[in-house]
Amino acid sequence: MTLTTPVRDTTSQSPAQRHHTPLRRRLTPLAFVGPAVVVLVIMLAYPVGNAIWTSFNYEVATAPGEGEFAGLGNFRNIFGDSDFVGASIRSSLWVLGNLVLQIVLGLVIASVLNQRLRARAVIRSVVIIPWVVPTVVVAIMWRFLLDPSSGPLNDILISTGVVSDPPLWLADTTLAFPMLTLISVWKWTPFVAVILLAGLQSVPDEVREAALIDGASTFQRFRYVIMPHIHTSIAMSSVLTIAYSINNFAGIWLFTRGGPAGSTETLTTLAYRYAFQAFDFGRASAVAVILFAFVFLVSCVYFYLVEGRRR
Amino acid sequence: MNAHTSHPRLRRAGLYALIVVILAMVIVPFGWMVLSSFKTPAEIRGLTDSWLPEGLYLGNYQGLQDTSFVTYFVNSIVIAVGTTALSIIIAVLAGYGLARFNFVGNRMLLIAIVTMQMFPAVLLAVPLYKMLSAAQLLDTRGGLVVVYITFALPFCIWMLRNYFLTVPVEVEEAALIDGCNRLTALWRVLLPPTMPAVAAAAAFCVIQVWEEFLYANTFIDSDELRPLSVGLNSLIGQYSTDWGRLMASGVLMVIPVVLIFAFLQRYLTQLAGGSVKG
Repeated sequence: MTLTTPVRDTTSQSPAQRHHTPLRRRLTPLAFVGPAVVVLVIMLAYPVGNAIWTSFNYEVATAPGEGEFAGLGNFRNIFGDSDFVGASIRSSLWVLGNLVLQIVLGLVIASVLNQRLRARAVIRSVVIIPWVVPTVVVAIMWRFLLDPSSGPLNDILISTGVVSDPPLWLADTTLAFPMLTLISVWKWTPFVAVILLAGLQSVPDEVREAALIDGASTFQRFRYVIMPHIHTSIAMSSVLTIAYSINNFAGIWLFTRGGPAGSTETLTTLAYRYAFQAFDFGRASAVAVILFAFVFLVSCVYFYLVEGRRR
Repeated sequence: MNAHTSHPRLRRAGLYALIVVILAMVIVPFGWMVLSSFKTPAEIRGLTDSWLPEGLYLGNYQGLQDTSFVTYFVNSIVIAVGTTALSIIIAVLAGYGLARFNFVGNRMLLIAIVTMQMFPAVLLAVPLYKMLSAAQLLDTRGGLVVVYITFALPFCIWMLRNYFLTVPVEVEEAALIDGCNRLTALWRVLLPPTMPAVAAAAAFCVIQVWEEFLYANTFIDSDELRPLSVGLNSLIGQYSTDWGRLMASGVLMVIPVVLIFAFLQRYLTQLAGGSVKG
């Protein structure tokens, strides 16, 4: 009984259960959870440990003498690498841009969807579409729309006389990064809006109306009536946005592969390049471990918030 | 703008203007993709004056037969079915176990499950590559299924466990008293009312498989084994100027996701907030 106790003790007192030996009863739960645990340990826990170990070793898949212990050698190497420094800065900007824009726009969209509207369900379904469409399709679509020569955006800009030189958009070293950020915001904001909408719907109508009758301003109502109900939703969606955006690989690789001239390289694409183009597994793992440490910290905040809300 | 000074009608107009803008942000790009998939090459290059296609040109869709598109599509379906079937079986058992027994580390396990959703995929790419290579599963669809199960599982377990918690224990006790063992009770009594959650979790698995690119791109080498996410990307390389055909491939890839999503509508908040809910 130390390992498990049934949720309801009546179960264990039922006649059908009486013949169970304590050992068998102890093993029953394990039989249910076991397969999942086995899969997750082999395919998740072990690889995580392996990746961390690899980051402390010189391991180049194409070169001999692999597996030599490196200590912090890989980390020293990457910190001295200007590619890494640039990618770190870009990753930070990427996360920050995604976070701020998605939360602000998500709040706007959620507030709109929370109004009494005709066809609200239809509007909501349409708004969600970018989130469910696979990134590769989003990439094909936007690469066409933004194509410098045959894309419709430049067609419109040129025919209306807004620009004379067609911008290169994703092929331009200054424009590519902000464009990718905007496309990422476009794809992921619906997700944030749905979480925030759930938060908004938890604000009781009476409270909202009472504030209105009392003459509270729009800002006051938002700050003192709505905010207390949705601040956990905002915190949750922020944490998820940070974790998802810093790990976002396809959202960059499928558009620019980190280019042009490295102008959209983030830590995720850099780690991938180290691993599967240079086959320097040690160095790639060092970058990935740094990413992991960051996401781990974010997860800690997440659980602090989940627990905080429970109390 | 204070609530008591603003005109309700003006507010309403502003609200609808905002809705139009939001909807346009979604509909215009997608609409353009769909329209372009029915345009002739000349129309796409803007050689005609009209923004709309002249007629329903199906050449782009027919042209996909010359590419590996159908192969990619079949591969995605095979991988999706494999991943979904195995994930659901494992997740039903685990979700039930977590909902009905108190483990010493029960709470920790749940925390771990949610954390796993946040793991950097690129961290696991190297060790998984080595493991698949050692197991001779590199460049196989089976290898991809094994990897995808890992990533679909946490969410499926979480969702099913939450659903099992809402099914009264009494229902199951009755079955146990009648002489069923726990597995039969789970299968015959508990699973039928849980079918919506199972279906939603399954749909989630399919959407994940449809979306995933990093691992598919890394672990699959042969063109004839590529799923859609990687395959479409390679089509961009091969047909970089043939936008009509690329738009057609995009439209076809989206259709299954949109169908599944239409069905998922009811579980939307759970899906988005799945990791948020306690």
